[in-house]
Amino acid sequence: MTDTPYTRRGFLGLAALAAAGAGLSACTGVSNDSSGGNSGGGSNKLRLFTYEDTSTIGKLKEQIAKFDQQNGTTTTVDDLPGSGAAVYPDKLRTELLGGSGPDVWRIWGGQIGAPYAKAKQAADLAPYYSKYGWDNRINKNAIDAMTFDGVRTGVPFFVAGVGVWYNKALFAQAKVTEPKSYAELEQLNDKLVAAGITPCGLGGKYGWDIMRLFEYLLEQSAGPELHDKLLSGAEGWDRPEVVTAFTNFKKWQDKKWLPQGALGLDPADVEPQYVQGKTAYTITGTWTEANAIGAAKKPSTDFGTFELPTDHTPTRHSGFVEGYMINARSGNKDKAAALIDFIMQPDTQKALGITGSTVAGAEPDKTTLPLSYQWTEINKTSTFYTIQDQAFPKQQADQYFSVQSDLLQGTVSPAAAAKKMQDIVSAWAKQK
Amino acid sequence: MASSQATVARAPALAGARRRRRKHGGLTPWLFALPALAVYTVFLVYPAFTSLYFSLTDWDGLSPNYHVVGLDNYRAMVSDPVVVRAAINNVIWTVVTIVVPVILGLTLALLLNGKARGKPILRMLFYTPGVLPLVSIASIWGWLYNPNYGAVNALLRDIGLDSLAQPWLGQNSTALAAVMVPAIWLRTGFPMLLYLAALQGIPHEQYEAATVDGATRSQRFWHITMPNLKPAHYIVIALSLIDSFKVFDLIYATTYGGPGTTTQVMGTWMYFNVFQYYHAGYGTAIAVVITIVAIAVSIPYVLSQTKEHDR
Repeated sequence: MTDTPYTRRGFLGLAALAAAGAGLSACTGVSNDSSGGNSGGGSNKLRLFTYEDTSTIGKLKEQIAKFDQQNGTTTTVDDLPGSGAAVYPDKLRTELLGGSGPDVWRIWGGQIGAPYAKAKQAADLAPYYSKYGWDNRINKNAIDAMTFDGVRTGVPFFVAGVGVWYNKALFAQAKVTEPKSYAELEQLNDKLVAAGITPCGLGGKYGWDIMRLFEYLLEQSAGPELHDKLLSGAEGWDRPEVVTAFTNFKKWQDKKWLPQGALGLDPADVEPQYVQGKTAYTITGTWTEANAIGAAKKPSTDFGTFELPTDHTPTRHSGFVEGYMINARSGNKDKAAALIDFIMQPDTQKALGITGSTVAGAEPDKTTLPLSYQWTEINKTSTFYTIQDQAFPKQQADQYFSVQSDLLQGTVSPAAAAKKMQDIVSAWAKQK
Repeated sequence: MASSQATVARAPALAGARRRRRKHGGLTPWLFALPALAVYTVFLVYPAFTSLYFSLTDWDGLSPNYHVVGLDNYRAMVSDPVVVRAAINNVIWTVVTIVVPVILGLTLALLLNGKARGKPILRMLFYTPGVLPLVSIASIWGWLYNPNYGAVNALLRDIGLDSLAQPWLGQNSTALAAVMVPAIWLRTGFPMLLYLAALQGIPHEQYEAATVDGATRSQRFWHITMPNLKPAHYIVIALSLIDSFKVFDLIYATTYGGPGTTTQVMGTWMYFNVFQYYHAGYGTAIAVVITIVAIAVSIPYVLSQTKEHDR
C-alpha cells in the first residue's frame, strides 16, 4: 500500500480540499461577464421570468405565444409559482449574477425592486416610456412606485389594494355584517369566536402575511400622516400610537381572532381557508378572486370584500405594485420593451385576467371578477400606503417580523416592541 | 576528455532523476489527472478563492462595485447576535441529530439482525425517509405540526393530552426541537444500514465461544458486538457530523429560520445575508467560517481513514 507514490492520505487530503472548495464556491456568484441577458443582440429569442400562480400561467403563455406570432420572436417563459417575495428575488438575483438572467422579469415595486435598479441590473426605461407613451396610459402612482432615484426602471401592470375578503355564509352564521369602524371590527371578531369560527386567517411563516394585520392596526392608531413618516424613518417609532398598534396586535392573538399558532403557519395554507370555510376572512388582495375563489370553482357571489375601517379620513388601505423590468445587459432590449408594451395593452390585460390593472381601460370584468371590480371602485376614492415589506429593505423587514414574532409570543411588551422598532428603523435611516 | 569527465559526473545524477521518475511515475499520472484537475480548479478552487476574496469586501451581491474592507466582516460576526444564536443552534443540532439517530439506528440494526420476520420490508421502511427529498419532508411535517388540523395535535387531543397540543413550529420554545424530529426520522436509516452490515460481518464463533464460557447477553454485547462495531461507529459518527454541520434545507423549508430568528443556523444565516439582504461580503465571511469549522471537524476522520488504509 505504502509503496505507491500517491497515497490514500494524499487523495483523502485532496478530497477534503475539494469539499472545502465546494462549500466556499457555493456562495460565489459574481460575474464580470458583460454580455448578460439570455439572448444575443439582434436575436429573436427572449426569456421572461415570472412568478405567476399555476392557475394564471397558462393565460400568460397564451398571450406571449400571440406576441411571438405577431413579431416572429420566440419567448421562453420561466415560472416560479407560489414562492412569494421571500424566494423569487433570490433566484432572479442568482440568474442575473450567473450572467444568464432573463431579458424581462416580473418584480414587486418599492424596496423589493429597488436593489435591481440600484445595482443597475435593470435598464433605464425612459426611452421606452417615450416611445410607447406609457406615461399617458399607466396609473401615475404605480409608475412612481417603480421609479428609483428618479430613474424609471419598471413598468407597473398591477396595483394591489389589500383588504378583507370574507365568506358570506360564515358571516351570516355569526350574524355579522361588514364593519364601519375599528370598534365594529373588534365586535365582529368577538361574535365570530362566540359562534365557533376563527375570524382572521393569516400565517406568520415568512412574516409578510401577518404583517398585513399589524400595518393596518398602525394605520388605524397612527393615522395616514404619521404612518407615512414612520415608514420613511422621519418620525420615531417609540411613541404611544405604535405601542397602541402593538397592543392591539397582541390582543388579536390573545382573543383568538387569529388561528391557533398563527406564527408558524404557511400563508399558502391559511389564506385560502376563508374559501374552504375554515376561517371567516383573510386580509389579502384582488388576486385571491382568481387564485383562491376561482381555483376552488366557487362563485364570487359566495364571498365579499371590503376596505378595513381605519376611522381616519381619507381612508387608506395597504397596497403595492408589481411590474416588469428589462435586463440592462439584454442584447434584445427593444424587443423586450415591445413585449412589455404588448402585455400593457388593455386587451392583453383583460385576457390575462389582471384583477388590478394599472392600465386605463383594462379594469376587471364586472361579471367574471365582480369583487376585484369592487376594488377598482374603492381605489377611485381611496389611496394606499406602501405595504410594509416593500417600505423596508428585506433585512429591516425581517428584523421587524422578528419583533412581531416576539410580541405575539409574549417575550417582549408592546412598549419594548416599539423601542425595538425604533432601533431598527433609525439604524436603517442612518444607512440611507 | 573534459566532455567525457562531465558525462561521467552527470551519470549518477541522471540515474537518480530516472529513479525518481520511475518511483513517482513521471508526468504520466499528471496527464491522466489533468482533466479532473482542470475541472476541479475551474469549478472549485477558483470560486473558493473568489469567495475568500469577497469575504474581505463590502460587495452587495448585485452591483459591479465594491470596496475591500479587510477583516471587518469577520469582526462584525462577533457582535452579530444572530450568528451567536445560529452557532449555538448548530451545536445543538449536531449533538442531537447524531446521538439520537445513532442510538436508534444501532437499536434497529440489532433488532433486525436477529430472526425478525419481514426483515427486508422493515429495513426498507426504516430507510425510506432517508431517500425522500428534504423539501417534501418539510411539507409533510409542516402539515403534521399544523396546530389546528395537524396529526400531532389531533393525536394528543384524542388521547386526552390536550394541554400538550402546541403550535410546534410557531413558538421559540419548541420550534428547533420540532424541526429536529424530522431530521432524526430521516437520518436513522443510514446508521441502521451501516450497523446492520457491520453486525453481519461479526463471526458467529465469537458469540458461540462466549456463550460456552457463560457470557450473558449483555456481556456478549459489550465485549463482542461493540468492539467489532468500532469501525462502523467511526464512519457513522464522522459522516453524520459532517452532514449535521451542513444543515440548511430542512430548516429553510420548515421554519424559514423563524419564528423571528429562533431556528437560524449558520447555513441559513449565510444564505439570508448573501441572497436576501444584499450583504454578500458578510454572508461569504460566514461561509468561510463554516468551511473552516467543517474542515476542522473532518480532519480526525480523514486522518483515521488514512492510517487505516496506509497500515
